[in-house]
Amino acid sequence: MRNRKHFLWLTAMFMMVCLVMTGCASTDQTQPGVTDDPQATVDTGAVTDAPSGDTVNLRVWVGDNEDVAWINQVIERFKAANPSKTYNIDVGVQNEGDCSKVVLSDPEAAADVFTFADDQFNSLYNAGALMEVVDDPDGIRAANTEDSVAAATGQDGKLYAYPATADNGYFMFYNTEYFTADDVQTMDGMLAKAAEAGKYVAYPMSNGWYFYSFFKGAGLDMHVMDDGVTNTCNWNATDTEITGVEVMQALLDIAANPGFREADSDPFVAGVKDGSIIAGVSGTWNANVAAEAWGDSYAATKLPTFTVAGRQVQMASFSGFKLVGVNKYSDNVGDAMDFAAFMTNYESQVSRFEMRRQGPSNVEALASDVVQAEPAIAAVVSQTEFADVQRVGSKYWDPAAALGKIIVNGNPDNQDLQTLLDNAVAGITAPADQ
Amino acid sequence: MTSNTSARKQPAIIRFFASIGAFFMGAVHAFAQGDVWVKLSALLWGVSCLARRQFVKGILLIAEQLLILWAFFGLLWPYLLKFGTLGTVEAEQIYDPVTRRNVWNNYDNSFLILLFSVLAIALAVAAVVLWLRNLRLAREVELRAKEGKHINSFREDLRDCLGVKFHRTLLALPTAGVLLFTVIPLLVMILIAFTNYDRNHLVPSRLFTWVGWQNVSSLVNLTASSSFAYAFRNVLVWTLVWAVLATFTCYIFGILMAMFINHRDTRGKKFWRVCFMVAMAVPQFVSLLLVRNFFADAGIVNTLCKNAGITDWLHSIGAIPTANYIPFLTHPAWARPMIILINIWVGVPYQMLIATGILLNIPTELIEAARIDGANAWQSFRSITMPYILFITGPSLVNSVVSNINNFNVIWLLSRDVYTTSDQLMANANANEVDLLVTWLYRLTQDQSNYKMASVIGILVFIVCAILTLVAFSNMIKGDKEESFQ
Repeated sequence: MRNRKHFLWLTAMFMMVCLVMTGCASTDQTQPGVTDDPQATVDTGAVTDAPSGDTVNLRVWVGDNEDVAWINQVIERFKAANPSKTYNIDVGVQNEGDCSKVVLSDPEAAADVFTFADDQFNSLYNAGALMEVVDDPDGIRAANTEDSVAAATGQDGKLYAYPATADNGYFMFYNTEYFTADDVQTMDGMLAKAAEAGKYVAYPMSNGWYFYSFFKGAGLDMHVMDDGVTNTCNWNATDTEITGVEVMQALLDIAANPGFREADSDPFVAGVKDGSIIAGVSGTWNANVAAEAWGDSYAATKLPTFTVAGRQVQMASFSGFKLVGVNKYSDNVGDAMDFAAFMTNYESQVSRFEMRRQGPSNVEALASDVVQAEPAIAAVVSQTEFADVQRVGSKYWDPAAALGKIIVNGNPDNQDLQTLLDNAVAGITAPADQ
Repeated sequence: MTSNTSARKQPAIIRFFASIGAFFMGAVHAFAQGDVWVKLSALLWGVSCLARRQFVKGILLIAEQLLILWAFFGLLWPYLLKFGTLGTVEAEQIYDPVTRRNVWNNYDNSFLILLFSVLAIALAVAAVVLWLRNLRLAREVELRAKEGKHINSFREDLRDCLGVKFHRTLLALPTAGVLLFTVIPLLVMILIAFTNYDRNHLVPSRLFTWVGWQNVSSLVNLTASSSFAYAFRNVLVWTLVWAVLATFTCYIFGILMAMFINHRDTRGKKFWRVCFMVAMAVPQFVSLLLVRNFFADAGIVNTLCKNAGITDWLHSIGAIPTANYIPFLTHPAWARPMIILINIWVGVPYQMLIATGILLNIPTELIEAARIDGANAWQSFRSITMPYILFITGPSLVNSVVSNINNFNVIWLLSRDVYTTSDQLMANANANEVDLLVTWLYRLTQDQSNYKMASVIGILVFIVCAILTLVAFSNMIKGDKEESFQ
């Protein structure tokens, strides 16, 4: 904190010295410019928030403009529940998918309490930006689902974030006009039906997050090691029950099927709207799109099985959670923890579901009939037993996406599948300091 | 041709060092020849001024000296001491359950150490310059006093600042701004290339330190665990190809367009020009994002091609991997030409306007004379119009090659979230086939927090641009060429 004041001083100093150096025989003190550094003034604003008396200043980041109404209501209840203190809580909007980038670029200037998707837990934890949950961690553990707690637990086994939602994973949307509940059990069945109808089943194959499903389903492994940054990956092993080459072959068959279409979020939405995509893998964030386009024939379920080396294998997935973290560099960590716990408690998660349709991680809230009646959330829950908590080092994503892209293109250069896997694994497991 | 151009001066670099030497020697002479007050000024600035009754100026000089000493030793010195290691004390905190606050140790912040050390060095250099200048000033005022000339009062000095020395007053702020916001950050960025500042060493919780030439070598040498060298080579080649193609296609089409519109048989010249002005008035990023959506795999152009049977035909001849869509912006063989074509579309109106301005300025008597001499349209274009345009736009052509090397907008807006590489070695280095060095650099810093490699790439981009600019400018505006066209 002192550093920032130094910086202000130095800025002012340096400008004065420059004035002298460039110029007039005397130091002309009428010159402006000594304090016209906007960054400096903003910074002082951020650091002089030492609480006076009983007023506590907190800054909270939520993920979306549409969350603001919900968080304001939470803040009102929080203030009412803590009448002994005066809280001054500022709400900011920071996309949950990018939160870690912003926090890590300057943790000292980030919000006291922020919401982020659990795929960023690892980078935030490794960079030492998250405050350990020291107030009643066991209570948080007991209140939320096991997976969501695992997603918020560091390599050292301690809890570092508060689970907020448990709906951030992916699953299969489908249109019941074309598929029966039986059809959607197997990928083959779905692709055949789609090809027959001249339509498509969408899957974001060249996206590492979704690409993981096939290999994990076939029993191959990829996760970050105990150091928290380097990945281990046996996709290229030749001694596993199902080998990576067999999975690759299966994927090439799927990609070559006329009923298959590679489609990440935007093309998925476009395809669902224009009717060309009649089933696809995505998450709750696209549930409204599918529900509107398909109306009564909208349905969602777990991922299907796919054929590899002559047998049916259930596709795995990454589960996804939204977590609330407390900034370790916050001036009021205690109050920030109070608020984080409050904004993820049972009532807040229920109101979040009611206002934002986001599936709770709170066991009690999740079990309620209203929540279970939501098809997308029911699908997330049914996929849960095949879903892994995402523990992946940053080196995974680009090599996995490239491998998926090669498959989508149908391996145009006819490269040896084992070589492709070897290259991908070399990239995925590369030392994190490269 | 005048004679003074042939009697060339010494190279600028030599003159530069010579002037530094002269400045230094001037100060040494001032000290050696000055009286006791001048010699005392070497210790306490402004003493000489005080002795000649320039009280305000003397006090200000002393204040300046004290301020510099205080800043250097009071503020910056602790950081400068750690410059060698960039800090050794990692941040640790203990939660105090009573105050409900975190208690931090007195931890080091590697980035601030680096920044303040650079500032300290800059301040030290500035202090030496000011000290030497102070000696010269001291001697100057002594000489004036001895010769009985008028010695400026403070009020007169101030008036000078707004009078005869007004240019200095005006330049003070811009110079300070450039030093503080360009030069110092640039130095810090260059130094980061020699550290291990990446996502495993993010400040303030972790420390980073010096690693020497390791980053540079991993960008040059291909190793088993790092494909940065491979990616760098490919990205560099594509960057240069892109810069040249993007510049010249826009340039040529812009000139042709301007000539067609300016042709005496063209009707509605103003209307056509306005049409292109409108294209320029739409913000570039809006048009680029729109075009990206047009050419997306599920975009409108693909729907049209599919319905018209073009997609199936292309698939049947093996030009595209799937029969579903044409990978306009998602396959390297398609995306690279597409990006250049789209760039023509967004870049031509601008070039056209510039060329129009130049065409209207071509001395008509030249063209008239050529026509009377029996030159046809092509001959007068080749011998008059084109040389004239080239002469006028030559320097800006170099400028646009350099700015196309750094053309972040077009590439980023057209490929972000859309383009996935299928080149595994590229992917392992977080690069892709349509990346320019700058977009790669951006991704490395924003997505990967890999500041060290980004810094190395940044330095190399600078070197490439600097070489191009120097070579091109020294060839184009060298010697007497400025007068050659007339």
